[in-house]
Amino acid sequence: MYAAFAANAFQTRLAYRNQAWSSFFGQLIQVFARIAIWMAVYAGVASVDGITLADMITYAILATAVMGVWDHALLMRDLDVAIKTGDVAVFLLKPLHYPLYLFAAHCGNLAFNTLAVVLPVTLIIGVTYGIQPPASAMHGASFLGFWALSFAIYFLLAMTCGLLAFWLMTAHSLEWFLTGIMALFSGSILPLWFFPPALAAVAQYLPFAWVAYYPTAVYLGKLEPAETGLILAIGLGWAAVLAAGVGLLWSRARHRIVVQGG
Amino acid sequence: MLAALRVLPFLVQLHMRATMEYRGAMILGWIAMAFSYASVYTAIALIVLRFENIGGWVWSEMALLLSFHLLGYSLGAAFSFVQFRQLEDIVRLGTFDTLMVKPISPWAYLAFSGFNIGYAGHITLALPLMTWALTQADVGWNPTLVLYLVGALVSSALITAAIITSIGASALVWVRSRHLYSIYFGFWELARYPLNIFPGIIQAIMVTVMPLAFMSYVPAAVLLDKEVPLLGPAAAPLALAAGPIATILAMLYWRWCIRNYQGAGG
Amino acid sequence: MSEIIVADGVTKRFRQPKRYSGLAGAIKGLISREFTEVRAVEDISFTIRAGEAVGYLGPNGAGKSTMIKMMTGILVPTGGALSVLGRTPHEERMVNAREIGVVFGQRSQLWWDLPVHDSFELHRRIYDVPEARYRENLAHLTRMLGMESYLDRAVRQLSLGQRMRAEMAMALLHDPRILFLDEPTIGLDVVAKDAVRKFLTEVNRERGVTIILTTHDLQDIEEICPRLIMVDDGKLLFDGELKRLRTALGARRRLKLDFATDPGPVSLTSARLVSDEGASKHFLIENEETSLVDVLAELGGGHGLKDVSLEEPDIEEVIRTFYQQRPALVPQ
Repeated sequence: MYAAFAANAFQTRLAYRNQAWSSFFGQLIQVFARIAIWMAVYAGVASVDGITLADMITYAILATAVMGVWDHALLMRDLDVAIKTGDVAVFLLKPLHYPLYLFAAHCGNLAFNTLAVVLPVTLIIGVTYGIQPPASAMHGASFLGFWALSFAIYFLLAMTCGLLAFWLMTAHSLEWFLTGIMALFSGSILPLWFFPPALAAVAQYLPFAWVAYYPTAVYLGKLEPAETGLILAIGLGWAAVLAAGVGLLWSRARHRIVVQGG
Repeated sequence: MLAALRVLPFLVQLHMRATMEYRGAMILGWIAMAFSYASVYTAIALIVLRFENIGGWVWSEMALLLSFHLLGYSLGAAFSFVQFRQLEDIVRLGTFDTLMVKPISPWAYLAFSGFNIGYAGHITLALPLMTWALTQADVGWNPTLVLYLVGALVSSALITAAIITSIGASALVWVRSRHLYSIYFGFWELARYPLNIFPGIIQAIMVTVMPLAFMSYVPAAVLLDKEVPLLGPAAAPLALAAGPIATILAMLYWRWCIRNYQGAGG
Repeated sequence: MSEIIVADGVTKRFRQPKRYSGLAGAIKGLISREFTEVRAVEDISFTIRAGEAVGYLGPNGAGKSTMIKMMTGILVPTGGALSVLGRTPHEERMVNAREIGVVFGQRSQLWWDLPVHDSFELHRRIYDVPEARYRENLAHLTRMLGMESYLDRAVRQLSLGQRMRAEMAMALLHDPRILFLDEPTIGLDVVAKDAVRKFLTEVNRERGVTIILTTHDLQDIEEICPRLIMVDDGKLLFDGELKRLRTALGARRRLKLDFATDPGPVSLTSARLVSDEGASKHFLIENEETSLVDVLAELGGGHGLKDVSLEEPDIEEVIRTFYQQRPALVPQ
C-alpha cells in the first residue's frame, strides 16, 4: 500500500514537466557555483590539510547535487497545507500511519529527483570537471548505507519541524530555521574538516552532519575504517531518537486534532 | 500620479494592518530568516578566512558584497517576491480577474497591497554587516561615491523587482511560472560571489539575460575599485543603468502578458 | 433607451497544452509542445439597452464567464467586435472600469482580515468617488441591505450572505452604469438568495442600473431578469423574454381541482387529465390562450368544487424542455 503512495508522488511530479526542468537547471547552477568557489580558493595550491581540489569537486557534487535534493521545504509545505486545510484529520480516518504515508510519498519524490535531477546533474558536472570514484569498493558500499541514512535523518528532521507547526502555527519560520542550520551544520557548503576546531568538535556530533558531511567523507575515504563503524552507529542512534521524537509529536498532534478538532 | 498617492500608501497601510493580525508569526519569521542568512554567511566567512580570499576578495570585501546582495534583494523583493510568486495561484483562483476590473494598474495593486515587511529581518542583518564592511574596506569616500552607493542600491532593488515581476507575469499566459524562480535563485546565489571566479559563459549570462551581476558584484567592485571582467570602465555607469533598463523591459513584458491573459478558465 | 452593449460576432478561443494519460503519457508530457484549441465563445451577437436586466444562462463550460470577462475588459476577444458604453473594453480597460461594477460570486474582493469599512474606503480611493457622494451612497446601500450591524466586523467573521451583500454594495459605491454579476447567488441559503434578488431588482428598477448576470439558478432569472440569453457550447441558443421562451415551447400549466366529494370522472377539452385521486384531480393546460375562466365555464356548476389552483410552469422544466428540443429550435 505504501509503495502505491510513493508511485503516486512520483507520477505527480512527472506531471509538472516545467518544474522538473527548472529544478534541474537550478541545481546545476548551484553545483557550478560551489565548484567555482573551490577552484578559486585552490588557485595555485595543490592541497590544503591533505585535501585536494579534486576531492573538493567531488565533495561539491555529492554534498550539493546528491544530498542537496533533500527538499525539506516540500515536505513541510505538504504538512503545513494538511494542517491548515484540516486534511490531516481525514488521514486519521484511514487505516494508515500518517508519518509513514508521508515517508512513502517522499520516497517517491526522492526517486523522481534522483532520476530527473541528481543523475543528470552528476553526469554533466562529472564529465565537465571530473568526479572521483569512491576511495574503494568498501567505501562505495558504505556510502550507499550512509546515503540512505542521510535521507532518513533529513526526513525525520523535516518531519519534526513540520509537526512542531501544530503548536507554533508557523511552518514558514521553522522551515527557515532548518534551512539555516542545514546550510552550516550539515557541511553541505563547507566540509567539517575545514571548520575551526572548536566548532567542528560540536558539529561532528550533531545529527545534521549525517545529512551531507559524513556520507561524502566516507565516499572520499577521509574517515578511518574503525571510525566509520562508530559514526554509522551514532548516526543510527540519532535516527532512532528522531524517529521516537516524531512518533511522540505525532501522537500528541493526533490527540490534539481529536480533542480540539484541529 | 496624484491618484497613485491617494491609493498606494493606503494599500500598504491596509496590508500592514492585516499582517498585524499575525504579528507573532511575523516576528518569528524575521528571526528565522535572519538566522538562516547569517548561517550561510558564516559558512562563506569560514571558507574565506580559511583560504584568505575568494577570487581576490578578502572577508571584509566579501561582507560588502553579501550585504549589498541582501539589501538590494530585500528592497526589491519587498515589492515583488511573495506577491508575484503567488501570482499563479491568484490567476488559478480567479482573484486576478477582480484586479482587472478595477481602474488601477494590477501591478501596482499587487505590489503595494502585498508590500512585505517580512524582509525586516534581512535588512536588520544587512545594514550592520554593510556598515562594518564599509569601515573595514579601503573605500575612498567622497559625496559622489555616497550618491553612487545609494543609486546602485536602488538599481539593485529595481533589477530584483523587474525579474521577479517578469517571472510572475508569465503565469498570466502560461498558468504556471513559480518553477522558474528556482532558475532565478540559482543565478541569485552566484551573485553572492565575485563574478571573476566563474567561467566566461556564466559571466556573460550574469551581465545580460540574467543581469544579477549588477545587483551586487558590480557595484561592490566599483566601490572597492576592483577591476570588473567583460565590462571594464563601463561597469560603474552600467550598474546604475541596469535597474531602470530592466524595469522598462519588465513593464513591456507585463503589458504583453496582460493582453494575452487567458483567465482562470470557464 | 440607448444601446450600451453591442456584441457583434464575438469569438474567444483558448489554447491549452495537450494532456496525456498514464505514466507513459506523463513522460511524453515532459517534452511535448502540442496544444488543443478550446472554443469558449463562438460568434455571439446581441445588444443590450440601458436599464435592462439580462440573465446570461447556460450549463457549466458554456462560455458564460468568458463573455462577462470580455465585456469587463479582462479578456481580449479572438474575433468579432464588442462595445461597452461606446468603448472597446480591453483597449480602454481602466476608463471602462470606472463605469461598471463587477461582482464575482465565488471570489471575494473584500479584505479578509479587515473590517468591511476598510475595503469600502479603498474602493472609494481607487474609483476616486467624491467624499459626499460616497457617504450618501454608503448610507443608502447600508440601509437597503441592512448592513449596519456588521460594517465594522472583519470580513472573515461574516456569513456568506452578509459577505455577498457587502460585495454588491461595494460594486455600486461608484455609481456604475452597468453591474455585472457572475453567479451572485451561488452557495447562498434561501433567505440570503431572496435578499440578493430583491436588492438587484430594486437597483435595476429604482437606480436604473443595467444588470447582466450569469447564473445556474433559474429563479434568479425569473425574479430579476425579464430578458434571457441562453448559451451552450459557446453558441447563442436563445435571446428574448422569458415569457416568449415559454410560449415558444408551448409550456404547460398545471391545474388542480379539489372537490368536496368524488364527482366521478370529469373530462374537459380545455385541459387534459393527468391523474385522478377521486376528490382531487390534476390537469395540464397545453394551450397558452386558455384561461382559468374558460376551464371553469366548461366545467360548469354542480360538481361541489371546493378549491382551484393553477401553477405556472416551473422554469427549470421550461429550460430542460428547451435543451432537449434544441436541435429543432435554432433562434431567428
